[in-house]
Amino acid sequence: MGVELLIALTTGAALFGIGLYGALSQTNLVMIMMGVELILAGAMINLVAFWRYLHPDNPAGQMFVLIIMTVMAVEMAVGFGVAIARFRAKGSVEMEEATELKG
Amino acid sequence: MTAQALFIGFFGLAAVWFGIVVFRTHSMVRSALALLFSQTALGAMFLSMQAEFLGVLQIMMMATEMSIMAIFMVMFMMDPGGLGKMDMTHQRRLSLGTGVVAFATAVTIALFVDWGPITSSAPDATQQTVDLGLELLGRSMLIFETAGITILTAMIAATAVAIQPAAGGSRHGR
Repeated sequence: MGVELLIALTTGAALFGIGLYGALSQTNLVMIMMGVELILAGAMINLVAFWRYLHPDNPAGQMFVLIIMTVMAVEMAVGFGVAIARFRAKGSVEMEEATELKG
Repeated sequence: MTAQALFIGFFGLAAVWFGIVVFRTHSMVRSALALLFSQTALGAMFLSMQAEFLGVLQIMMMATEMSIMAIFMVMFMMDPGGLGKMDMTHQRRLSLGTGVVAFATAVTIALFVDWGPITSSAPDATQQTVDLGLELLGRSMLIFETAGITILTAMIAATAVAIQPAAGGSRHGR
C-alpha cells in the first residue's frame, strides 16, 4: 500500500476519533458541533485520498467531497439556529440542562 | 519517502494537533481558532495531494465558517475567554475510550484491507476542474441540485427556528 494513502487514512482516523470524543464529552452545543465538524473532516480526507490514489480518473470522488462540505454547512446553519432558539428560551446552550424531552 | 508523503504527513500532523487543541483549551475562542487551523491544514493536505480545487475551496469555506463560529462562541458562552477555567465536559472516560476504539478500528482497517493498485499520477488542475464540472452538470446533476436545495431548505429552517417570537404572543405573532 502506498505510504501517502496510509498517512491520509491514519490522519482521517485520528480526526474521526478526536471528533467522536468531542461530540460525546462536551456539554456545550457549539462544542458538540465542533466535534461533528472534525468527524466530517475525517471522512472528507478519506474521500480525497481514495480519489487521488485509487481512482484519479473518476471525478465522482471529488463530487462526494463537495457533498460532505454541503453537509458541514447545513449542520452549522441548523445547529446555530437551534442554539439561538435555545439561548433565547433558556439563556444557555448547555446540553446538560436540556432535559425537557427526557422520558 | 517522496516529498508529497512528507508534506501530507506534516499537514496531517498539524490537522490532528490542532484538532486535539480544540478540546484541550478552556477558551472557546481559541477552540474555534484551533478548529480553523485544523481545517486549513486539511486544505493544505488536499493541495499536497494535488486536489487543488478542493484544497482552495476547503480553506476558503472553513475560514468563513470558523470565523462565524468564533463570533457565536463569544455571544453564547458565559466565559468565552476561558479565564474561569470552567469544566464543560461529561462522561470523559467513556468518550475517550470510544474515540480511541474508533481510531484503532479505522487504522486497523486501513492497514489490513487490500486497496488495490496505487496510482501515482493525477490529472493536472485544469483537467480536474473540467472533469468535475462535467461530472456535476452531467451524471451527478441530480445529486448536485439536491445538495443546493438542501442548503436552501437549511437556511430557511435555521432562520425560522432562530427568529425571535413576538413579545407576549405565540411564534406566529398572534
